[in-house]
Amino acid sequence: MSINRRDFLKTTAGTAAVASTLSIFPEVVEAKTGELKYEGEAGKWVSTTCQGCTSWCPIQGLVVDGKVIKVRGNPNSPSGGRICPRPHLALQQVYDPDRVKTPLKRTNPKKGRGIDPKFVPISWDEAINTIADKIMELIKAGETHKYMLMRGRYTNLNEIMYNTFPKLIGSPNNISHSALCAESEKFGRYYTEGFWNYADFDLDNTRYILGWGADWVASNRQTPWFMHQFGKVKDRAKITTIDPRLSATAAKSHRWLPVIPGEDGALAIAIAHVILSEGKWNKSFVGDFADKVNYFIPEKEVPTEIELDGKVIPVVFEEKHTHGVIAWWNLELKDRTPEWAEKLTGISAKEIREVAREFAEAGSRAISWVTPGTAMQPRGAYASLAAHALNGLVGSVDAVGGILQGNSVPSVAAPDVKPYLSEEIAKALKNKKIDQRGTKGFPAINQKSGGGVVTSRVAQAMMDKNPYDIKVAIGYWNNWVFSTNGANVWEKAMETLPFFAHVTTNIAEMTMYADIVLPAKMHLFERFGFVTNKQNLHGYMSIHQPLVKPYGDAKTDETEVPFLLAQALAKKGYDAPLRYFQDNFKDPQSGKIPETSEEFDLFAVKYFTKAIWSGESNEKGDTINSWEELLDKGVWKTKKFKPGKKIDNFKTETKKFEFYSETLKKVMIEHAEKNKITVDEAFEHANYTCKGEVSFVPHYEPAVRHGDEATYPFIFSEHRSRLNREGRSQNSPWYYTTKNVDPGDENEKDVTKINPLDGKKLGLKNGDKIRISSIQGSLESEVKLWEGTRPGVVIKCYGQGHWAYGRVGSEVFGSKPRGGNNNQILIHEYERLSGTNPRAGGFARVKIEKI
Amino acid sequence: MAKKYGMIIDLHRCVGCGACDLACKSENNTPVGIDWASHKIETYGVFPKVTYTHTPTLCNHCEDAPCVRVCPTHAMHKTEEGFVVHDPSICIGCKSCMLADPYGVIFFNKTDAFSDYVSDDSSIVKGGTFSKKELSDKAKAPFPNFNAARGAGGYEAIRRKGTVEKCTFCNHRVAQGLSPACVVACPADARIFGDLNDEKSQIATTLKAHKPTVLLPEKGTNPKVFYIRSYN
Repeated sequence: MSINRRDFLKTTAGTAAVASTLSIFPEVVEAKTGELKYEGEAGKWVSTTCQGCTSWCPIQGLVVDGKVIKVRGNPNSPSGGRICPRPHLALQQVYDPDRVKTPLKRTNPKKGRGIDPKFVPISWDEAINTIADKIMELIKAGETHKYMLMRGRYTNLNEIMYNTFPKLIGSPNNISHSALCAESEKFGRYYTEGFWNYADFDLDNTRYILGWGADWVASNRQTPWFMHQFGKVKDRAKITTIDPRLSATAAKSHRWLPVIPGEDGALAIAIAHVILSEGKWNKSFVGDFADKVNYFIPEKEVPTEIELDGKVIPVVFEEKHTHGVIAWWNLELKDRTPEWAEKLTGISAKEIREVAREFAEAGSRAISWVTPGTAMQPRGAYASLAAHALNGLVGSVDAVGGILQGNSVPSVAAPDVKPYLSEEIAKALKNKKIDQRGTKGFPAINQKSGGGVVTSRVAQAMMDKNPYDIKVAIGYWNNWVFSTNGANVWEKAMETLPFFAHVTTNIAEMTMYADIVLPAKMHLFERFGFVTNKQNLHGYMSIHQPLVKPYGDAKTDETEVPFLLAQALAKKGYDAPLRYFQDNFKDPQSGKIPETSEEFDLFAVKYFTKAIWSGESNEKGDTINSWEELLDKGVWKTKKFKPGKKIDNFKTETKKFEFYSETLKKVMIEHAEKNKITVDEAFEHANYTCKGEVSFVPHYEPAVRHGDEATYPFIFSEHRSRLNREGRSQNSPWYYTTKNVDPGDENEKDVTKINPLDGKKLGLKNGDKIRISSIQGSLESEVKLWEGTRPGVVIKCYGQGHWAYGRVGSEVFGSKPRGGNNNQILIHEYERLSGTNPRAGGFARVKIEKI
Repeated sequence: MAKKYGMIIDLHRCVGCGACDLACKSENNTPVGIDWASHKIETYGVFPKVTYTHTPTLCNHCEDAPCVRVCPTHAMHKTEEGFVVHDPSICIGCKSCMLADPYGVIFFNKTDAFSDYVSDDSSIVKGGTFSKKELSDKAKAPFPNFNAARGAGGYEAIRRKGTVEKCTFCNHRVAQGLSPACVVACPADARIFGDLNDEKSQIATTLKAHKPTVLLPEKGTNPKVFYIRSYN
C-alpha cells in the first residue's frame, strides 16, 4: 500500500467533523434526517425499506458523498425505528464486488450445474431486443401462454412486472414464490377465523406466549420490534418455545419443549385435550355446558343426554363465539391424552399438562403463536390449524393481550388491463396456469380450490410439459434452483427451459441457466418501491427510494425492465403494453407521459402510493400531504389496531371462530366436485390420512418421513439464521465473521449440529467432515456436537452451500459450494392443501458418514 | 467534575443478535478479523436441560488499564474522560498491550487493511461483474462504505499495518454528543452509555438499582463496562 493512500485517508478523515446533533432518540442519539453534515461533504439520513427478511422494516441509510455508509431504523417506523443485524449486512450486498454491472448473454448453449455459461457483456438494447423477439415469436405463433414470469421477493410495484405485464402479453403464468414462504401457516388462521394473512400480537398486555417454532428474536416477522420487546415481555409473561433446536428464542425462554420434528400437531391436540378435560377453557368466549358440569371426560364422547333422578335431560353446550367445540372433542380430542402425545412428541405428559394449564390460566392473554416451523411440514396444515385453534379455546383471538389481525393500509389498484387486450390475447389468458393448482394432487386451497400458487410444482410441470410447455421465462429477485427443496429438480427443469432471462443483482444458481442476464438495482438503496405490512399493532406503508446511484448499469426489475420490453415490443409491432403504461401511468403530479424507463419507474411508484401522499388517508393514521413528505418520512402508519371488533364477525361460514371448520368443508366439497372425486379421496390425494368428519376439525396427522429408519437413522431438521437475508447475504464476509450468533453455529463454517450422544455412537468429534445423505441427495458439512440438539435429530442452518452467487458465498464460483445447501437433501415434497414447499417437520431422514 | 464514561450491558434485554458487532464494523472501518465489539458464547448442561448464554464484549476502558501501563511509547493512553485510546502514529507494534490485556480485545494489524480494494482487479465475468478495485475507484474511497467520520480529530480512519487497534468507546462520536455505535444499534436497548460521575444519569441510577458485575474482577482492572441481570 502506498503512502499516498494513507495520506488520502488522513485528509478525508481528518477534516470530517459532525456539525449538528439534534436528538431523535433520547440518550441514543443520531442526527435527524438531513441534518448530519461533515465539513467539506454533506451527509444525509434517507428513508428506505429493508427486505432482508419478511419484517420489511422502515430503515434509513446515511448517504455521504454519494455512498451509503451506515444504516439505522427509521424513527417514524411503527416499531420505533430499530433494526436487527441484517440491514448492516446489506452494505456489503449493495457494494458486493461480484455484482452484475451490465447485461450479459450466454454463449455456451449447454446448460447444467457446473457448466460455465460463458457469459459475455452486451448492451441493454441487445438484451431487451433479444427478449422482446422471443415474446414476439410467441405472439405470432398464438402461444403467448407459454411465457412465464417467476417472482421471488417483491415490492408492491410487482403490480407491473408480475400482475399486469404477463396479462398484457397474453400469459396466465405469473408464478410467485409464495408457496415457498408460509402459506400453510395462513391455512390455520383462515380455516378457523377466515384470515388468510399473518397475525399481530398484543405484546404489551400478554401473559403467556406459546411459540410454535417461533424464533421471534431472530427471524420471520417484526424481528427488530420483537427483539426490542422480548426482555419486557419476559418480565411480565411466561414464554414457552417449542422447537427441536435450542433456538435463539428458546435459549431465552422460560421453557423449551424440544419436540420431535413433525409432531407439533400431536402436542397441540394434547394441549387442547387438557384444556377441555380440566375445564380450563375460556367460558366467556367459547361458552359452557348449560348445567356448568364438565362433560369433557377423557376417552368419552360428550353425551347428547343424561339421566338424572330418573329424568332424561339433554346435555346442552351454549356455545358463544366459537363453532363446533363438542364436535372437536367427540371427533378427535377425547382420546388424545398427554400420555398419547408423549410417545409421539418426546415431551413428557407431565410437562404437556403443566404447559396446557399455564397457557389456559393466562386466558385471553395467552398467545399460541404459529410460525412456519410448525406449519411448513408435509402435513403441516393441520398442525397449523390445531395450534392456532388453542387461541380459540382460551379466547385470545382478537383480545387484549392476544393474537390479532390488524389494520389494512389504503392502496391504489392497478388500472384495468382489459381494454388493452385483443380477443386472442384475452383468450390466451384463459389457459390453465402451469403449476397444476387446483388439481387432485395440488388443491392449493387458498380460500378456494386452486386459489394459491404451487411454486415448486412448476419445475416438474415444465419437464412434463403438463399442461403444456413453457418456452420463454423471466425470473426476478428469485433463486429457486437454490431455495426450493429438492434443489436438483429445479436444476433439471432449468436445463429444459428453452429461453430464460434473469433479472438479478448477482449471478445466482438460477442465473447460471440464463440466456440473458439483466442487472437489477439493489432494493434497499438503489430503487423506488414500497411495501405494506404490520408491526406493533399498526399497519404501515414503507417506501424504497434510491439513496445512491448504482455503480453499474442496473435497472429496476419491476418497472424499468417491463417498460423497456414494452417499448421494444411496440417497435416490433405489438404496442398494447406500452399504450397501457403510457395511458395510465402519467406523473400524478405533472401529468407527464412516461417516455423513459426511469420516468415510468418514478410515476408508477407515485401512482400506487397516491392514496397515502395525497393526504386522503390522514384520518386513518399519520399525516402526509405530499410525495416529497412521503420520501422524507419514508413511512405512513395506521392508527393502532383496536381488538374486539372481529368477534362474531369473522369471515368464516358461521362468522364464528370455527373449531369445526364449515369453511374448510365448503371449499373441500367444491374442490372434490371440480375434480370429480369424493372429499375423502381429495384428502388422500393431498397426502392426508383423514376420512369423514374428522377432516374438518384440527386433528392428528402422522408425520411424513422419507427414507427408511434402518438406512437413514436420523431426522433432519433445518432452521433460519438471524443473518440470512433470504439467502442473499452469503456473499457478505460479515455473514461468516458473525455466524456464531446463531446458537450452536460457528464462525466461518456451515456446521451440522449433532447431540453429543449421537456423536459418540457414530464416533464423531467436533470438526469432523461428514456427508449427510437422504433419498433426495447429499451434502458435505462439518460436525458440531451440541447439547441444544435433540438426540436422533441432526440440525443445520439454511443459507450456505452456494455454488454460484459470488466468490465469498461459493468456494469455487460456478462449481464448488461453500458449505452445503440443505435443499439438496430436503425431499422435493409438498404440503398440498396449501400448495407449499415444506422445509420443516423432519420429512427427510438422513444418514451420516465421516469423510 | 470531570466526566467519566462507562457502559452497562443489560443481559436480560440482550437477545444475542450481533447487531452491535456489525454496527461497530461499519462505524470504525475494521477489517475482517478485527472486531472491536464482539461476544462470548457458552452452552452448558445436558439435553434437555441446556443453557446458552451470549455476552457482548468490548474494551472495558479500565480505570487501572494494564495495556496502558505496559505501553512503552504511550501510544496506548487514557484521556481525561476515562477513555482508553490508542495513537497508531506512535505505536511501534510491540504487542505488549495485547499480552497485558486480560480480555483479548486489542488487535494487531498484520496486513494493510483493505489493500485488496487497491490491487484486486479480478472479476467473475470480465467486463460483466465488478472487481474490488473497480468499486473503490468508483467510490474514490478505500472501500465503498468507508466511514470517513471515523478519522475525526486526526485518528487514522483505517489503522496502518504493524500497529494495534481496539474499541475507543466511539470517542469521535461522544465528542459530538452521540452515543457509541453499538449503543445506537442495539435493537433491544440493552446498552446504556453515559457519565458515571453524573448521579442523575441513566447509567448511574441503573447501576445503583442493580448488582452489576464486570468481567474478570479478580484482575483488579476496575472495568467501566458493567453487566446487569442474566441472559437466561
